[in-house]
Amino acid sequence: MGSLNKETIQKGLDVFQNPADSKLITHLNSCVHCGLCAESCIYYLATKDDRFIPARKVDLVASVYKRYCTHIGKVFPSIVNARKLNEETTEEMVDLLFGACTMCGRCTAHCSIGVDISFIVKTGRTMLSNMGMVPATLQSTVNAALTSGNNMSIPTEEFVDTVKWMEEELIDEINNPNALIPLNEPDKRVLYTLNPREPKFFPLSISAMAKIFFAAKESWTLSTAMYDVTNYAFFSGNNTEAARIADRLWKEMEHLRAQTLVLAECGHGSRAFRWEAPNFLKKPFPFKVETSVELIAAYIREKKIRLDPQKIKEKVTLHDPCNLVRNGGILLEQRVILNHFIGDFVEMTPHGIDNYCCGGGGGQLAMSEYNERRMKIAEIKAEQIRKTGANIVVTPCHNCVDQLSQINIHFNLGVQIKTLAEVVADALILD
Amino acid sequence: MCWYQILALVSLVFCVGHLTFHLLRLIRLGKPHDYAPASGKVGPAVQYSFTGAMSPGKKESAYLHLPTYGAGIIYHLGTFLSILLFFILLFVFPFTGLFRWIFSVFLFISVACGVGILIKRMVKKGLNDLSNPDDYISNILVTLFQLMTAIVLILPFMAPVYFIVVSLFLLYFPMGKLKHVLYFFAARYHLGFFYGRRGVWPPKPL
Repeated sequence: MGSLNKETIQKGLDVFQNPADSKLITHLNSCVHCGLCAESCIYYLATKDDRFIPARKVDLVASVYKRYCTHIGKVFPSIVNARKLNEETTEEMVDLLFGACTMCGRCTAHCSIGVDISFIVKTGRTMLSNMGMVPATLQSTVNAALTSGNNMSIPTEEFVDTVKWMEEELIDEINNPNALIPLNEPDKRVLYTLNPREPKFFPLSISAMAKIFFAAKESWTLSTAMYDVTNYAFFSGNNTEAARIADRLWKEMEHLRAQTLVLAECGHGSRAFRWEAPNFLKKPFPFKVETSVELIAAYIREKKIRLDPQKIKEKVTLHDPCNLVRNGGILLEQRVILNHFIGDFVEMTPHGIDNYCCGGGGGQLAMSEYNERRMKIAEIKAEQIRKTGANIVVTPCHNCVDQLSQINIHFNLGVQIKTLAEVVADALILD
Repeated sequence: MCWYQILALVSLVFCVGHLTFHLLRLIRLGKPHDYAPASGKVGPAVQYSFTGAMSPGKKESAYLHLPTYGAGIIYHLGTFLSILLFFILLFVFPFTGLFRWIFSVFLFISVACGVGILIKRMVKKGLNDLSNPDDYISNILVTLFQLMTAIVLILPFMAPVYFIVVSLFLLYFPMGKLKHVLYFFAARYHLGFFYGRRGVWPPKPL
C-alpha cells in the first residue's frame, strides 16, 4: 500500500463532513467498548481472534472520527485512542472492514447500546472507497457491472442463448409450447431480474422461476439490457457507483413500462434495490418493487399455483439470508411457502432475524484473498446445518447458495442446496 | 454555599452546557429521511428498541453475559441515584434519616459492581485490547463518584472530598464515553427507525 497524500486522506475524511442526518454522529459516539458483541459475530466465534470483535471494527472508524472531528481527540488523542488516517490505519481498516465482516448486522441487533455496527463498517468502506482502497477483486466485480451491465460480464448474445436454451428445456419438460421466457416485452405486469450467477452457472433456476410464472399465468418479461439484480457497489461502499447501477435497473423498468419489479433470490441485491436504491437516487419508486419470495408466497395465498405435498419427502431446512431477513424484513413469506408443501421442515438454531450469516455476504465471495478466512468462519453455519439433520437446505439467495455449496463440500455435509424457486418448481402441479 | 459546592455547580454548568451542544447538534441533524417505502411502523419498533430488544430474553449481549448484564444494571442505577443525590446534597446538606443508610448500602453494592466491571476490563484480554484510557478513566470516575456519595451520606465531614470528586466527574463527563448517556437514546431510536421501517422490529411470531 503506497503512502497517503493529503488529498487522499481528505477524501477519506469527507465521509464525516455534512452528514445527511444524526445517524452517523450518533453511532460514532455510542460504543462503550463493553465487548459483549463478540459472541454475536461469526468471525469471532469461529476464530476467537480478538481483532474480530465487532466493537474493534467500530473503534477503527470512530478513532479516526475522534482524531479529526472531536476536541478531546485533537488535543489528547491517546486518551480516546484517536488515530491518524495513515497507512497503518487504512491497512487495518481494509483487513477488518472488508476482510472480516459480512455486514450481516447480527452484532447490531444484539449490541448492548444499539450501535448500528454494520452501518459504521459500511461507512468505513466508503472512506476506503473514496481513497481508492477497495480490494481489487471486489472492485473488478463492480467494474464489470458498470461496464458490461452485469457483474459477470456476460455478453448479451450468450445471455440470450442461455435463456432460449432454458426455454426449450422448459417447453420439453412440461410439454407445452406456451411455456415461454419472454425477453424485452413492454407493458407486462412483472419485470423479473436475475443474479448473473444464474445464466452463468445455474441456468436451471431461470427455468424454475419461468415454470412458476407459467403456472401462475403471470404477465412477465426479462430484459436483456438490464437484468442484474446485484449491486456490489453497495458492498464496496461507493455510493455513486451503487446509484449508477441502481439507476440502470430503474430506467429499464420505465423503458419497458412494467408495473412491478420482481427482485430475484438475491439477499444483497434485494436489499440494495428495495431499501437502498431510492436513497442512493434520492427519489421514491414510481413502480412497485417486491422480492420473488413475496411473489411466490402471494401466488400460494391467492391459489394461483398449487404444490404437491408428496413431491419432496426429504427433511428440509431453511437458511435465512441476512440481507433479506435481518436487514429486509422478509421473514414469514419463505416459511409460508415451505410449510405449504414440505412435510418434514426443520428450523435451524438460531433462525430468523437471529440466524448466523453463511459467511458469503458483504462481498466476501468476490474477494478471493479472504477465501481461507471465509471457509473458516463457515464452520458455524456447517454445524448449524449438521444439527438439523436435514437433507435439503433451501435459501432464497444465490450468493448464499454459492457459499453453502462450498460449505457442503468443505465440511462434507452431504446435503442438497436449493433456491426457493427450485423446490417450488419441483413440486408444482400443472393443469 | 461553600467553595466546593460552588466548584461543583460550575462543573455542572460546564457538563450540561457541553451535553446541550451534543443534543442540539443531534436535533439540528435530524432523523433520517428514507425514500424507500416502509414495510413496517417506526413507532412500535422504537418502543420495542427501548424495551423488548433490551431484555435479557432477546438481547444476546445480555443473556450470554448475565452476571455482567446484572452488574451493569445495578451500576447504572447507582449512577442515576448518585446524580439525583448530588442535586439534593447541593442544596440540602447533610442528608439525614433512614434513607441515607438504604441509599448508602445500595451504592456500596453498585461500587462493587463497578469495580468488578473494571477488573474484568483489566484482566480479560479481548476486552483489555479493546479498551483505551477513556474506558478506565470513565469507570474509575463513576465508581469514585458513587463511592464518595455512599460515604458522604453517612460521614458528612467528607463533603469537600465528595464535591471535588463530583466536580472531576462532571468536568470529564462530556469528554469521553460517558456522554453515551445522551447517545444511547439516539442510537436506540435510530435502530428502531431502521428495523421498524423494514418490518424487522417488533419481531413477527414465527
